[in-house]
Amino acid sequence: MVLLIALALMGGLTLAAPPVSRRLGRDAGYVLAAGFAAVALVLSTASSTVLAGGVVSVSWSWIPSLGVSFTLRMDGLSALFCVLILGVGALIMAYSARYLPEGGPHGAVYCLITAFGGSMLGLVLAGDLVLLYVFWELTTVVSFLLIGMSGGKGTRPAARALLVTGAGGLALLGAVVLLVAVVGSSDLTAVLGAREEVAASPLGPAIAALVIMAAFTKSGQVPFHFWLPGAMVAITPVSAYLHAATMVKAGIYLLMRFSTLFAGEPGWTLVLMGSGLLTALLASVWALLERDLKALLAYSTVSQLGLLTASIGVGTSVALAAAVLHTFAHALFKATLFMLVGVIDREAGNRDIHQLSGLMRVMPVTAALTGLAGLSLAGVIPMIGFVSKESLFQGFTGARVVPGAGAVAGVLAVVISALTFAYAMRICYGVFAGPTLQPRLREPSWSFLAPAAVAAVAGLVLGPAVTVLNPLVRQASLDIEPWAEPPLFVFWHGFSIELFMSAATIGLGLVLFLTRDRVDRVLRRSSSLEGGEQFDRGYGALLKAGSAVAASTHRDSAAPFLARPVAGVVLLGGVGVVTYAGWGGARPPSGPADWIVLALVAMVVAGLVTARSVLGTVVLGGTVGLLMTVWFLRAGAVDVALTLLLAEIMTAIVAAFVLGREPRSLPRTGRRGALAAGGLAVLAGATAAAGTAALTGRREISEAGAFFLRAAEPETGGHNVVNTVLVDFRGFDTLGEISVLAVVALGLSSVRAGRMRSGSRAEPYRSPVLTPAYRVLAPFIGVLSGYLFLRGHQEPGGGFIAALVSGILVAFGVLIGRVGAAAGTVRPGAAWLPGWGLAVAVAAGLAAAVAGRAFLTPLKASWSVPLLGVLEFSSSLLFDFGVYLVVLGLMVTAVIRLGAEEEPVG
Amino acid sequence: MSAPLLVGVLVAGGVFLVLLPGMVRIVFGFVLLGHAVNVLLVTAGGTGRTRAPLIGEEDPARMADPLPQAFVLTAIVITFGTTVYLLSMIRARSPGGRSEEPSG
Repeated sequence: MVLLIALALMGGLTLAAPPVSRRLGRDAGYVLAAGFAAVALVLSTASSTVLAGGVVSVSWSWIPSLGVSFTLRMDGLSALFCVLILGVGALIMAYSARYLPEGGPHGAVYCLITAFGGSMLGLVLAGDLVLLYVFWELTTVVSFLLIGMSGGKGTRPAARALLVTGAGGLALLGAVVLLVAVVGSSDLTAVLGAREEVAASPLGPAIAALVIMAAFTKSGQVPFHFWLPGAMVAITPVSAYLHAATMVKAGIYLLMRFSTLFAGEPGWTLVLMGSGLLTALLASVWALLERDLKALLAYSTVSQLGLLTASIGVGTSVALAAAVLHTFAHALFKATLFMLVGVIDREAGNRDIHQLSGLMRVMPVTAALTGLAGLSLAGVIPMIGFVSKESLFQGFTGARVVPGAGAVAGVLAVVISALTFAYAMRICYGVFAGPTLQPRLREPSWSFLAPAAVAAVAGLVLGPAVTVLNPLVRQASLDIEPWAEPPLFVFWHGFSIELFMSAATIGLGLVLFLTRDRVDRVLRRSSSLEGGEQFDRGYGALLKAGSAVAASTHRDSAAPFLARPVAGVVLLGGVGVVTYAGWGGARPPSGPADWIVLALVAMVVAGLVTARSVLGTVVLGGTVGLLMTVWFLRAGAVDVALTLLLAEIMTAIVAAFVLGREPRSLPRTGRRGALAAGGLAVLAGATAAAGTAALTGRREISEAGAFFLRAAEPETGGHNVVNTVLVDFRGFDTLGEISVLAVVALGLSSVRAGRMRSGSRAEPYRSPVLTPAYRVLAPFIGVLSGYLFLRGHQEPGGGFIAALVSGILVAFGVLIGRVGAAAGTVRPGAAWLPGWGLAVAVAAGLAAAVAGRAFLTPLKASWSVPLLGVLEFSSSLLFDFGVYLVVLGLMVTAVIRLGAEEEPVG
Repeated sequence: MSAPLLVGVLVAGGVFLVLLPGMVRIVFGFVLLGHAVNVLLVTAGGTGRTRAPLIGEEDPARMADPLPQAFVLTAIVITFGTTVYLLSMIRARSPGGRSEEPSG
């Protein structure tokens, strides 16, 4: 329960951030910092359980059909990351309160950073793989938004970050799916307990590879490293929090989490150690070359994450415990350095390492704090970075995956650390030494420095007092590898081999630093593997290939892209005709009337395709529709025939509205185009005929059909089975259909209305026949519509048909200018009709839900009334009324929108 | 055997019309294709039983399958909606009736 409260609090803080910052401006950061601390306090109530090796968890059923639950779970490893997320988060929030400029809207920044904190917390607390994946993607999206907020220069880096980490998210999804397939559960505890099953499964290596891929993209490991330096266009608090302390550690968390399954597997170890050390080496060289302090720190982060990855790869309890401790230490000193670089940037207006000089004299406190954090990065005694680096060394030298692995890893680790030392010294030197170039600089306010100072001093104190961290780190390591007791950290190891490695690191690092000019010359000659350019080029090429494929469809003419699917169908049909074996079997014979209908349709279609005039097309199109009506009647589909008849009349009216002002003749067709179209059309027709002949018409009534015929009357009281299918049995389908119609009506409303001509056609058109006819017929048609609607459940009729009849009435009225005169009043009402119809239909469905039945189950009620007998009412009638309103709304919108020009105004 | 040929004729006519230039042709081409699919659906329910599915008025053993009929009924109304929408496209593309027919 504690976990849920914590997560809910983060959600609440996210929502509260914009209003609070509207009121307090940038000072909202302090409120949010207090909020982060409060969440930490809430979680700390579970600390005794967690530190004793227990697991705090809470679970709700979420997607029971997939066995996925909303489970939150905190063990030692989660708790350690919670400390990082909330602790660093609180510091960053307090820092933002002074970093962000006074005034100006900060709601979005605060909201997003808090949302990120919440997502990250959810990620490390997720007790279900699906939930873990969801939070993983959330961090990706929020990171994208925060990078993209830095304006135009942020567009490309944000896109890069999203593409790379998004690809990693897909890999994680793949891993989750495979794990669920192997283990049979998405519950994290169950999955972590299934080491043997995963190891025995042939899918094991694939899962490991996907997990590694996901972690590498998130944690910027080569070859996915290039998005991280680009992400530095984001504001400094974002760089410090997301791209140094927490988000990039999500990959580390994932690797640690799944070490329970894979630690000690040679493949896992080799891949992680190999690429981790390679990343660390390359990135530390790039960091050495970098002049921009923020970019330098970004490469430094990549390099340190490489060391962590390699250490996790070693997989012994010593190495894992070292990785856990170094994760903590790195978050501490790297966040400090970012915050201080932000301070220097803000005060000195510059963060080029070659142009900063002698800050110590004007900004002594800032300089001193930078020195402390720099020493921790360099791994100099007595900082916490020293302790964690020594334990990393200890872990690496214990690598046994192949003979000599320990020695090679140890030497590489010393070289990497020496490079790290060298660039850390460059930071410190730039800040401390040299002449003071900007004597007017002053120390910033203490409130701006305080968060960095807290972190820097913590890094200093926690070195000698590292034993304070032992219980948490030990428990986190035990949660990764329950079978191995991790070592306890002490500040002073005695004169161990690690101490000599540290000494070698510092010695080599000093040499590299002192000979920096020569080092620079050598390094600049080596080609860069930076990768961002290549990625952009590849991405650009991909987009270009896409436009090349799409280019042929970017035309005014519909034929090129309509021809392709048709040709595809013909091709598939051809394959089907050749391979299909079931041609035999007798079909029910067709009567002579069927053949007559076929012959007539063929003749009319022939006329239609050769028609040159618009009028001919409309008339012949309508004739085909009427012939189809006959065919449906012959097939026993009375309601269908009725609906089609009415729809054809409506289509003809609307076509008359629209096409009345179009040119009278159709555009000419080229001979070659017509021949090609004709050839394809004949082939398509033959395919369709063959498909129909092969696949339909022979069987007896379907099971579903038989059921409806059997159950319609007893279950619904209706005799018209088609109508009961529409409103009783398959109401949900019908709801979908009328939703589509409502959308079409909405689309029609947005089409530019016909222009209302005022004055030019002031006199309404008065037909000596139509106007009196309308006056006489209108009431009858209205009554007919109501009658058809009410009897729909028993006889042909119902909402669709009744609405079409009413629609014809309205269209008739518009045609002779009756309704048009009142168009101004009808118009707003008409736009609402489909919405009302949907509302009525849904209400009818919800009535069943209220009564405790499934959505859209018809409810029946009956009263016995004297003289009239028993009156029955079913909620399906209400539903049908919703259908009626939607269809009528579509009709009215169509005729009024499209017929508008026909009618005069005022 | 008339139903498959009917589908074939309608599809051939519909495809020919949508591949020719002119929005009006395309609209009516889609109408023909809609008819073809509706015939196909009803045929899929079986062509042996041809009595309307109205309980109490017809012989239940000879009633046609009601399910495809329900599909087709809604399909007709949707086709109508699509047709009207396509027609409104013509209106949207030709302001005030003075434009030339859009060459499709």
